[in-house]
Amino acid sequence: MIELIAQAAPEFNPFWGTEPSPEAIWKIFAAIAVGIVFMFLLMRVPTRSRRSIVMTFTFLSGAFYVVYYLWPEPINRGPNDAPSGFVDAGGFFLQDALPKVADIANVLTYLLLCLGIYSLTRIHLGRVVKKQKDWSFSVVLLIAMVAMIAVGYWDYILKEFNDPDKLLTKAENWGGVNYAYDMLFDGLIQQMDAAMFSMIAFFILSAAYRAFRIRSIEATVMMASAILLMVSLMGAVDYQWSEIIKGWTNDQPGNFLNNFNLSEVAGWVKNNLQIPSIRALEFGVGLGALAMGLRIWLGLERGGVSV
Amino acid sequence: MSKPEKSFWEKAQAIDRRVLYAVLIVCTAISLFFKTEIPVNPDDSSKDLYVSLMTIDPNKTVLIESDWTNSTRGESAGHFEALMRILMNRNIKFVLYSIADPQAPQVARDALLRIQEERKAQGLKVYEPWVDYLDLGYFPNAEGHLQAVGNNIRTAWGGRKERDEAGVERDVFTSPVLSGVRVVGDASLLIVCSASATIDIAVERLYGKVPLGFMVTGVMGPNALPYYQARQIVGMGVGLKGVYDVEYMMTYGVNYRVEGTNKPKVSYREESVTIPPVTEGTTFDRGARYFLPLHVALALMILAIILGNVAMFASRKKRVVA
Repeated sequence: MIELIAQAAPEFNPFWGTEPSPEAIWKIFAAIAVGIVFMFLLMRVPTRSRRSIVMTFTFLSGAFYVVYYLWPEPINRGPNDAPSGFVDAGGFFLQDALPKVADIANVLTYLLLCLGIYSLTRIHLGRVVKKQKDWSFSVVLLIAMVAMIAVGYWDYILKEFNDPDKLLTKAENWGGVNYAYDMLFDGLIQQMDAAMFSMIAFFILSAAYRAFRIRSIEATVMMASAILLMVSLMGAVDYQWSEIIKGWTNDQPGNFLNNFNLSEVAGWVKNNLQIPSIRALEFGVGLGALAMGLRIWLGLERGGVSV
Repeated sequence: MSKPEKSFWEKAQAIDRRVLYAVLIVCTAISLFFKTEIPVNPDDSSKDLYVSLMTIDPNKTVLIESDWTNSTRGESAGHFEALMRILMNRNIKFVLYSIADPQAPQVARDALLRIQEERKAQGLKVYEPWVDYLDLGYFPNAEGHLQAVGNNIRTAWGGRKERDEAGVERDVFTSPVLSGVRVVGDASLLIVCSASATIDIAVERLYGKVPLGFMVTGVMGPNALPYYQARQIVGMGVGLKGVYDVEYMMTYGVNYRVEGTNKPKVSYREESVTIPPVTEGTTFDRGARYFLPLHVALALMILAIILGNVAMFASRKKRVVA
């Protein structure tokens, strides 16, 4: 079992070899075929039984990481070390199996991406076919998705497999596909991404002007600390103020007035008010995540595993 | 019956948002034309990060987790480019990977290419893939992946292939960049350049196994502060101020006294540390370009808040008097 899931020696043992061997390619196709059959069988399982299957897999996956954390870890293990007892053997097994489990999780995450693409296509294609409300936006989405996937892969194949001299790293050697990819990815997606985020600045300014009013003690404290932190971010103001303080204190580091440097005051607010609050919040979030994790792991959370 | 005319203070309380947007766009756009050097006192966290980067063993590899996209390029691109310049100036090999966003590797590649072009134009050494750096791309499942890296980096990244100088695909651990790395702790530093919660995952999974440093956006700064205060990370640059701090220290050094002056421009708490300015290549760039617009935007915001409040109190007082 240990050899099946994990490598006994942690040395790297490449699956592909230097060149992809026909045997390995067949193995991949076989794995895909088995996966499809498995998925097909899962879909044939009666609805009542699906819940127990999902719960079993969830419990086993969670149990691996729980045992991994609780089991004593081998210390300073060498590549040729052998386990000397049950506890050691368990530690070796878990340590060797972890990358394999992570690989399985990686593959599952990739599958989720594929599932997302499938789901998006199904929903929007349905909208277009039925000419539902705003179906034209669905057309734009589908065209954009297909164009990006096609051009992205085409560009990748050209650069990775048909450009041994790396000529395509320079724009003057580009062809139509490379320009199309550059326009779609760098010219459109990336710029729109940046534009969407930068719009927040306008909303923040407008909201600060309208809503940041001194109407209560809490609002006053909040506004004072916000202005203090904003001013401390303005390096020029912070620097000039510190120069004034230096003038008052004759540049004596032990002088009490040095506490009134903007960076000192802002640092005090951060260290004594902000960080403890964040810690308290994160502690609460952590406890909540632990409780939720336990519920999902033990199958008590009905919403998460309902099928 | 006509509406009573609004007083000046009432009008000042209700400026049209389009006017505010116009003022912001005009002021920040104008200030973008000026690449200004503004004197600053770098934050302690930025100093710690810079000192770590400038004092690590140049023969050891640095791991870079690049988890930003162009949505935060104003801050993250500056961080990333400054990091590239520092590592290339010190001739340190590095590995790039991403766990946050499938777009992130390409964005990092573009930024790296910009720095390569800049160095080429300046007649400086250009980093070669495989020999000087490795680009491992995107790994999904952030938690599981970093857990595996902490457990055994050679199996976690085993199977990743890159082309060597001859164009032959080979396992990344046979490259000069990773050949000496048996465990993650063999890397001198892991820098997380991030705009998301992957900083938390890095600390959760890799703290104690490799020294960590953060380059984060202003929004993520408060999240990262507890780790810095607890000394779980060696240092961090936060937001645009962090970018400018690093560029400033690259220009003026740390604890470095110019002849004829009795005080360094940037002083550090450990007096034994002296880092001279970076003498080749660009130092002031994106941070210097965007720092003035940041000042302008923050000043506008403060003015808007003050104006709104003053107008509110003035009109309230007027009503009471009436």
